[in-house]
Amino acid sequence: MSEQEEELIMHLERDQFVAETSRPVARVSLTPLGRAGLWALRVFAVAVSGMVIYAFAAALR
Amino acid sequence: MRQAATAPLAFPPLTEQDAVRSADRSRVHEARAGNRRWWLLWLLVGPGILAMLGENDGPSMLAYASDGAQYGLGLFVPFIPVLFALAFVVQEMAMRVGAVTHRGYGELVLQRYGAAWGWFAAADLTITNLITLIAEFVAIRVGLAYFGLGSLVAVALGLAAVLFTFSGGRYWRWERIVLGLALFNGLFLIAALLSSPHLGGASSAGFSHLPGSVNTLLLLLASTIGATVTPWMIFFQQGASADKGMTPRDISEGRWDTAAGAVLAALFGLGALVAGAALLGHGGITAFSQADFPGALGHVAGGAAASVFALGLIEAGAVAILTISASTAYAAAECVGVAHSFNSSPREAVLFYAADFGVAALAAVVILIPGAPLLSIALNANVLATVLLPVSLVFLIMLANDRGLMGRNANRRSTNAVAITVATLVGACGAAYGIDSFLQTIGVVSS
Repeated sequence: MSEQEEELIMHLERDQFVAETSRPVARVSLTPLGRAGLWALRVFAVAVSGMVIYAFAAALR
Repeated sequence: MRQAATAPLAFPPLTEQDAVRSADRSRVHEARAGNRRWWLLWLLVGPGILAMLGENDGPSMLAYASDGAQYGLGLFVPFIPVLFALAFVVQEMAMRVGAVTHRGYGELVLQRYGAAWGWFAAADLTITNLITLIAEFVAIRVGLAYFGLGSLVAVALGLAAVLFTFSGGRYWRWERIVLGLALFNGLFLIAALLSSPHLGGASSAGFSHLPGSVNTLLLLLASTIGATVTPWMIFFQQGASADKGMTPRDISEGRWDTAAGAVLAALFGLGALVAGAALLGHGGITAFSQADFPGALGHVAGGAAASVFALGLIEAGAVAILTISASTAYAAAECVGVAHSFNSSPREAVLFYAADFGVAALAAVVILIPGAPLLSIALNANVLATVLLPVSLVFLIMLANDRGLMGRNANRRSTNAVAITVATLVGACGAAYGIDSFLQTIGVVSS
């Protein structure tokens, strides 16, 4: 790397480089309870969204 | 986090994006080294103000004005600032996670918790963003209609704004253009001053004018919450903070940026509310007649107030199109794992720019469909965002508490307490409205 290039990037933190941020962060394993909670939240969001969309569509008719 | 200047000289490969971001960061370093605090703040503001003022969008401002026209000021004058205070807590977390990890929300959820959760989040976002973008074009059309202009002009204006901000291939340039436009959100404050409502009467109307129906009250609460905190704001502020190159040293300035955005958004939102309150006692305005809100305001408060309000709607819609499209682009490109930065040229980040323009273009096409129920879509956009927000909030809280990612910048207990309260409140409100509406629709409960 040339001196000019080094000077150009000296203001970035090392983990800001595109090459660094392109590397995925390590995955964490959720506890069974945590996973169940997230799925419950997902089902809740889809169900309530469905209700809102159904009520909206029915109101249009 | 270690400064590259003091790191061993084994630099990763340099990209154009790194070079551009480093040039921006060099000014931040100089300002900090020279103890030029105001200049430093000027360099670092942006994502927070844009997220907050971007959410003061067309449908939100129409909703505030409609609330003022129907119910007066009593409930909303304290309610709106409280909601923006809650929005500050959420957005500060998004900024902090972006500054510490240098990564967007979508990619972190996907990498940390698995592809399914990342794609669910991106899908939620894309659906709500598409609906909200339709509502933004509707708002621009409502504003333009006051000046005798139609849907085609609204579409051309919105899409031209998106294309214009692409020029340059620099985040800084994109941010400053949108920031300049966003400050015109203050037009609603001017509209409030010009409309000269009887504040005493409008304030005392307060609780006595609240809707009698529980469902209408829930709709009011859900849509007002959806007008202040939404999933796209989380994606946007975290992605923009990373794209801007913020670091843990900038968190303090990032907080000021977010707080300034919250204060300005609350003030301008109250402006729309007060302008709308001019119609209180003049028959108010029904939800449907929001199509001619500026016209109705003109009859009561005069042409100047109406023109400024109409211009405000055009601005609010345009800025929201820019920020909401950007959040979609960050989410799509992050989840696919390709370049996702305004510091990349359109040639280097094809999917990012295509998603940004594509989602806006898709929304634009919808408003050109004859007979499409645009106003109903606009009114329901905020409600759907409220319903889907708890999922985004829970993952944001998890990320902000992840000490493996955040280290000593992880959430404090007090932040968690407020954030969990917000998620619970939003979830309960959205669920109550959704379930009540559904039960009414199928005839289980009466309206």
